[in-house]
Amino acid sequence: MLEMLPQWLIDWLGPDGIASLAYITNGKHLSWYASVRYTLLAACFGAILAVVFGLLGAAAKLSKFAPLRWIGDIYTTMVRGVPDVLFLLFFPLAFEQGVEYLMAKLYCKPEEIAAATGWPLCQSAQWYLSTTEYMVLACFSLGIVYGAFAANVIYGALKAVPKGQLEAAHAFGFPSREVFWRFQVRQMWVYALPGLSNVWLLLLKATSLLSLLQITDIVAWADRLGAPNYSPLAGLVHADWRWKYYLVLFIFYILLTWFSEKFFAYLQARAGRGMARAN
Amino acid sequence: MTAVLDVQNIHKRFGSLEVLHGISLQADRGDVISLIGSSGSGKSTFLRCINLLEMPDQGKIHLAGEAIRLHTNRKGMRTAADPKQVQHLRSRVGMVFQQFNLWAHLSILENVMEAPVRVQGVDKTEAREIAMDYLNKVGIAHKSDAYPAFLSGGQQQRVAIARALAMRPDAILFDEPTSALDPELVGEVLAVMRKLAEEGMTMLVVTHEMGFARDVSNKVIFLHQGLIEEQGYPSEVFSKPKSERLKQFLSNTSIK
Repeated sequence: MLEMLPQWLIDWLGPDGIASLAYITNGKHLSWYASVRYTLLAACFGAILAVVFGLLGAAAKLSKFAPLRWIGDIYTTMVRGVPDVLFLLFFPLAFEQGVEYLMAKLYCKPEEIAAATGWPLCQSAQWYLSTTEYMVLACFSLGIVYGAFAANVIYGALKAVPKGQLEAAHAFGFPSREVFWRFQVRQMWVYALPGLSNVWLLLLKATSLLSLLQITDIVAWADRLGAPNYSPLAGLVHADWRWKYYLVLFIFYILLTWFSEKFFAYLQARAGRGMARAN
Repeated sequence: MTAVLDVQNIHKRFGSLEVLHGISLQADRGDVISLIGSSGSGKSTFLRCINLLEMPDQGKIHLAGEAIRLHTNRKGMRTAADPKQVQHLRSRVGMVFQQFNLWAHLSILENVMEAPVRVQGVDKTEAREIAMDYLNKVGIAHKSDAYPAFLSGGQQQRVAIARALAMRPDAILFDEPTSALDPELVGEVLAVMRKLAEEGMTMLVVTHEMGFARDVSNKVIFLHQGLIEEQGYPSEVFSKPKSERLKQFLSNTSIK
């Protein structure tokens, strides 16, 4: 690979530079860089689910039907109160064991269940989760937790939409459902985006917890790569370098934040198009 | 000839406060009816009862002979028996609000096209033509791509009138259309309304503009404390008021 570099770059780097470059592009390091995809995927799908849960939660809180309102209120109050670390540990495990319990009901013989001393209740009720499944569960966990925050933000934003415009929509014959989706939700974004950008940044930071779910994400890799490294051939390659690897993560998250801010500024400008003087 | 609008014995209460004590009104095609009265007399509430933005506690509403079916639900609340019928009524009775209530996220043209396309199912190209026609009529076609927030109050209200016209309604309800405007912008909106009246549009206008009520409408209704105190031709109502309250009201109001 390295011999493909242009001559001027090789000259500029020198032998030590080339060695360092070779080290940080070895297989393990490339795996580290590639593991960024888990962070980004979890953040993106977690955010999409958070907005979906947020919209549903906010709609429930605004419902005329009292039991739906209670569900909305319980969701936003309870889930916001639970630490996200705890929820990320609790939800996937509870879900996994719930599925295994159902599988046991369906597939285990009664005598197997009677004889079972641990979990799962029989071999055929064992659910092996791969990284993909853990990722899906992680996205849902993030979506549920941050959806509760988003629900409150969206609820407030929906109520901030001028009543008169919704009344006008009713007066022109739009059915209630369309008044909600076509006018209230459409205009809500301009009030919700500042709050949602907060929720997004919190969610982005929470992706550093993915390693809790046996996903070898950027944090897990930084841990591994930064630990003192002995090679059978070369002896000590480096001492405890974790701070260097964590520093890279620092910079990575700061760059993501910076990019997010730009993106939200763009969204805000788009959503607020035409409303410059109305606000 | 069936009346375009036939509203019978409307009662409305908010909590324990009864604001309408039984008001009836008939509008034939081409009628321009002004509803006047001091604030709190119930004229806006009555207008909003006609297209059910407020649900009347009692009373009947007929649009072009068709009765709007209302019933009382299990909790004792009055509701529409058939929401579809109410939506249909609303799509045939335009409304112009005091605060304009243009949709802020849509351009002027989109504001006027929105309901014809989405509610009435008019083809987009056709709706655009109709919208531009009416924007021309109210003299605001050159702003069709702007957003409402960038227009003056008078311009916004003219767009709101075009938005109501684009539904090709049987009648238009005006709820104090000039009350939120700066004095110098009132004239342009009244001029548009005058033109509509001359063209035979059926209009119900809640207004404080006594000049408009006297010169443009063919019927004036004076409301006092939720009842019709006096009604008749504008010439009679304004020059020979019978009730003491109307005399008092008119003496406190300047006619421009």
